[in-house]
Order: sequence, then structure tokens, then C-alpha cells
Amino acid sequence: MRGLDKRYMILLVILILISPLFGVYLSDLVGYHEPLDLAAEHIGLPDLNEELNWTPLYDYGFPALHPVLGYIVSGFIGVALILGIGMLLTRIVSKSECVLENEAKE
Amino acid sequence: MHIPDGFLDPWMVLTTFLVVGGYTIISYRRMGRLSMDRVSLLSSFSAGIFVAQMLNWPLPGGTSLHLVGGGLAGILLGPYLGFFAMSLVIIIQCIVFHDGGITALGANILNMAILGVVTGYLAYKIAISILGKNNKGRFIGGFLAGWLGIVVAGLACGIEIGLSTYFGFNLDVTIPIMVSWHAILGVIEGLITAFIVEYIHTRNPGISYLEV
Repeated sequence: MRGLDKRYMILLVILILISPLFGVYLSDLVGYHEPLDLAAEHIGLPDLNEELNWTPLYDYGFPALHPVLGYIVSGFIGVALILGIGMLLTRIVSKSECVLENEAKE
Repeated sequence: MHIPDGFLDPWMVLTTFLVVGGYTIISYRRMGRLSMDRVSLLSSFSAGIFVAQMLNWPLPGGTSLHLVGGGLAGILLGPYLGFFAMSLVIIIQCIVFHDGGITALGANILNMAILGVVTGYLAYKIAISILGKNNKGRFIGGFLAGWLGIVVAGLACGIEIGLSTYFGFNLDVTIPIMVSWHAILGVIEGLITAFIVEYIHTRNPGISYLEV
């Protein structure tokens, strides 16, 4: 993919690999919950998140994987999806650029 | 910052989706023709923001520190492409990882991808026009873009949940709490934004929408 710096990609991989330190380990250590979830619990609002779940990757986990590994796999899946959509867009843009060039020649 | 399902009244859900729909049309029309480089920048920026948001540093007391990235998107990609980049992250987070509710997707995009981005864009532009394109202007502009972007997004979040009867607290509670917390946490967002702007200025200033 044009313009994607190799060093930037290496940085993203490193950050994904260390991300469970924050998102899993430190979260468990301080008993972290989303502030809005805590407020909802305080006023007795029903927690719809798990009842209305539509994805096996709920909360950046992966089925049957340890939360640390699940968090890392989720990171790679998220980045792959975003870059995949980017590549798809690049193809569309490159096709439309070809069409414009051909029209200009004619 | 990501509002879950069950917090917003149906009218608020509808209103936020309509606003996002309207801004999507405006952005599509105004962003100009997409080049390969701009698409590439959009996807690599979105991937970076997605990863940065996974690095959330939990704080005792029930909150966490992480980069949201709206202000940075406004500076580097502008108010239209920046909106698409942030929206892509929020949509993937919601649909694939259930981070933020599906009924709150409109509100979450409005707060972080529209208000956060546009505020950051304007804050940087105004700061640079007053202070000039120098180290001071870039640092203060970058800081204000990050800080104000997250504070305005937090304020909007407070208004949306405060106006919704499903959420038991009114505006007099939700706005002060959301604004004060984000004003404190936003200092880190502002500093990170300022440092990234400075880094891009020294390495590759040509990639940025606003001159850095």
C-alpha cells in the first residue's frame, strides 16, 4: 500500500503487543470499569451490553483465548480491517484515476 | 467516552444519526477528489488511532487515560477527511468489538468524529493565525486542539445523556461531571497532540492538511 511507512507499521505492531499491559493487566489491577457503566450501575440502569451482544470479539477478547492473547489478536484484527478497507478504497480511487486519465487522452 | 446502548432516548438516537448523516453528505461533497496518498493517509491514521485507543491507562476511581485523536485528525486530515478517519475507527470499535452501543453509534460519531475533529481543526487554525507558524504556535495550537477537542466531545456527551430520560441524571449533573473530567484528562490529550504535531513538523510536514 502506497505511503505506508515500514517503521510506522513496526511501531503499530509493538504497540499492539504491549497493549494488554494497559487494557488487561492494569485494568484488572485497579478494577477498571467504563465510567458511564459505573454511573449506569449506580442508578440501576440495566446493563444491555452482554444481553445485546452481536460479536464474538466482545470487549477486545477472542473466544477461548486468554484475555491477554485475545486483546492482542483483537488489536491485529482491528488494524487489519482498517487497512483492508483502506486498500479497497485505494483500488476504487486508482480505477477512477485511470478512467479520468483515459477520458483526458480522448 | 463511548456511550453504550440503553443510555439515549429514541429521539436522541434519531437526532444524532440524522446529524451524522447530514455531516457525511457535507464531508463527501467538500473533501475534494480523493487521491491514493490521501486514502493511504486516512487508513494509516485510523489504524494508529485504533491502536492508541487500546493503550488506555486505567486510573483508580473509575476512569482511564488514552488518546482519542479527534483534534489530531482535524489538524492532519482536516474537518472532512478527519471525520471519515475517526468514524472508521468508531464504527469498527462498535461493530466488531462492541465498544459503544449500536443505538449510540450516531452520538459517538457526532462527539468524537465531528465535534472533536472540527473543534481541533478550528482551535489549531485560530492559534496559528494569532501566534504564527512557529514552535510556540504549533505547540499551543496542537495542545488546544487536543484539549478543546476532547472537552467539547465530553460536553456533547454530557448533553446527550443528560437530555435523555433513560439516563437518570439531568444536565446539571452530567455536564459538570463530563466537562470537568475531560478538562483534566484532556491535558494529556493536548500534550500528546502537540508532540505529534511537532514530530510531523520535523519529519514530514507535507502530509498535514493544516500547515504544521
